[in-house]
Amino acid sequence: MKIGFYDDFRPCILKDDGVIDITDDVKSMDEGSPQLLMESIISNFETIRPRLNELHDKGTVIPIRNVRLRAPLPRPGKVLCGNTNYMEHVPINPPRPLISFFKSPDAIIGPGDTVVLPTFRPVIFNHEAELCVVIGKDAKELDIDDALNCVFGYTTGVDVSARAPTEGESDLPGGYGKSFDTFLPIGPAITTADEISDPNNLNVQYRVNGELRQNYNTSDMEHSIAYLIAALSHVMTLKPGDLIMAGTNHSYLGPLQDGDVAEIEIEKVGRSTQIVVDSLKRKWDPHNLRQPEELAARRETQKTQPHPGSWPFQPVGGA
Amino acid sequence: MKIGFYNEFLPCIVKEDGVVDISDAVSALKVSSPQFLLEKMIVNFNSLRSRLEVLANKGNVIPFGDQVRLRPPVPRPGKIIAGQGNYKEGVPITPARPLRTFFKSPEAIIGPGDTIVLPKHRPVIFNHEAELAFVIGKPAKNVLEADALNYVFGYTTAVDVSARAPEDGEAQLPGTADAHYGKSFDTFLPIGPAITTADEIDNPNSLRVRYWVNGELRQDYNTDDMDHNIAYIISTVSHVMTLKPGDLIIAGTNHGNLGPLQDGDLGEIHIEKVGSSSNHVTDSLKRTWDPHNLRSPALNTANRERLKGVWHRGTWPFPPST
Repeated sequence: MKIGFYDDFRPCILKDDGVIDITDDVKSMDEGSPQLLMESIISNFETIRPRLNELHDKGTVIPIRNVRLRAPLPRPGKVLCGNTNYMEHVPINPPRPLISFFKSPDAIIGPGDTVVLPTFRPVIFNHEAELCVVIGKDAKELDIDDALNCVFGYTTGVDVSARAPTEGESDLPGGYGKSFDTFLPIGPAITTADEISDPNNLNVQYRVNGELRQNYNTSDMEHSIAYLIAALSHVMTLKPGDLIMAGTNHSYLGPLQDGDVAEIEIEKVGRSTQIVVDSLKRKWDPHNLRQPEELAARRETQKTQPHPGSWPFQPVGGA
Repeated sequence: MKIGFYNEFLPCIVKEDGVVDISDAVSALKVSSPQFLLEKMIVNFNSLRSRLEVLANKGNVIPFGDQVRLRPPVPRPGKIIAGQGNYKEGVPITPARPLRTFFKSPEAIIGPGDTIVLPKHRPVIFNHEAELAFVIGKPAKNVLEADALNYVFGYTTAVDVSARAPEDGEAQLPGTADAHYGKSFDTFLPIGPAITTADEIDNPNSLRVRYWVNGELRQDYNTDDMDHNIAYIISTVSHVMTLKPGDLIIAGTNHGNLGPLQDGDLGEIHIEKVGSSSNHVTDSLKRTWDPHNLRSPALNTANRERLKGVWHRGTWPFPPST
């Protein structure tokens, strides 16, 4: 089942041809905050599931052309992101440590919404199409084998990234080139976990103005979804409605610029579009994309670099 | 006025001798999530204020003692933004180096009297970093420095508990240099005792901050030594992301006399006009560090002197300094 929001953040089931309103069925959980409402739906899902199944089969469908879909998680408590978490076809054994970072929850936008490029001047604004995980229950110090049990569902995410000339985004006040408002389109809905038998076997595609750019499978992920959840849960408690972005394969990353219409699609999860505006009307060559050979070369050089392993899992070289 | 929570996250005014329950005064907000209630109280504060002032003066005070447990006044902020290396530590650098900040996990929040639980992660040390914290009062986007303090709802104390790894920051944790997961373990952000509304603090950059462990004074500094003042932090961060009511910003610490937190410790923070809050520390591994081996101010001074010669690009969106 696909759960989301439409119009004025009314909760709904998303179907291929439209939405089924579920406002009346979750009214007792609604205090006026869409994020809190979704967290309640997630936490109480087993209780309301029979009724939602019934609505899914028999409810009145509002045609998709008559509705505006909204971000299925309007303001997650935490947004955690995998950083360079794809092998890009060059496995390294043992794997390098997982790295991740926080993204601003106020970067979230929904299907059809607009990515607004700030007046900050980076080398480029990149799209990073990513599989996203929505946490379903409190998760602390999980084993890898149990980790997928705390997943409520999956959605798509684009980790829009302003890349600065040198040293990451060091002239911003943090690693904040990824945290500008509107820099995290998600959607179209949350696909519940029962519909995804293996989150590490999904095709991810990203198109800009109809031209295919990113096109990779989540089977190339260096640290699997289960590992990502388990490792993060050893630092901080994951909570219902938290969002984890799994990272991207950088092959064929390109610029986002004024006037672009872009679309992410993940197999079994869904499809969502974004529009891009830039008040400065900056230009980049839309065909100058990151090449797999260049990325493979980068991975090859990492093979020989020593690393301390990822706490608390199998430290390499001591501890 | 000091606004906070007590017992099962009931909203209250915190006074010298106890709390005044304000549940009835805010019941029209019809919210059960403590964080969301706080955000609605902040947004509606002007209309609530006269009623709350009457309660503050004449309401029934429940005295501190066994009947009252204060809770974190900002239970789960939408964002926690932390200043990093944001004190001059006696060595001004002109022009100032760029503001650096990072996010901290909202699940790190604990309240007065709560316990800091040291994880099994093996760092060089777990440090206390006593800091002035402030709570955003209205949406702030692209705010000018001259207007920035108008976006502050109030102030509280914070301890940015920090696991320092042997090398490369906390590189063997999953966090990056910009995320610092050594600072995001659960329980690593004690705050409290309440939010002191901004009208009671005429200058947030002139407040004495002290931190004691087991009754011995460690940190003792004034917020007038801040490299980037409160107004500048708000203005700069608001040029990247919208700050929202109930977001928490912690301003960074002066590292002079930082020391270890370890099993059995009782740490206490006090900030002038803002309040006091204390926390216990537990460590299932019972690790020990020398409690008198503190970070010497001379070391901090040397670090700052070294930074004087290091080139930097300035902080966007303000004019770069080179």
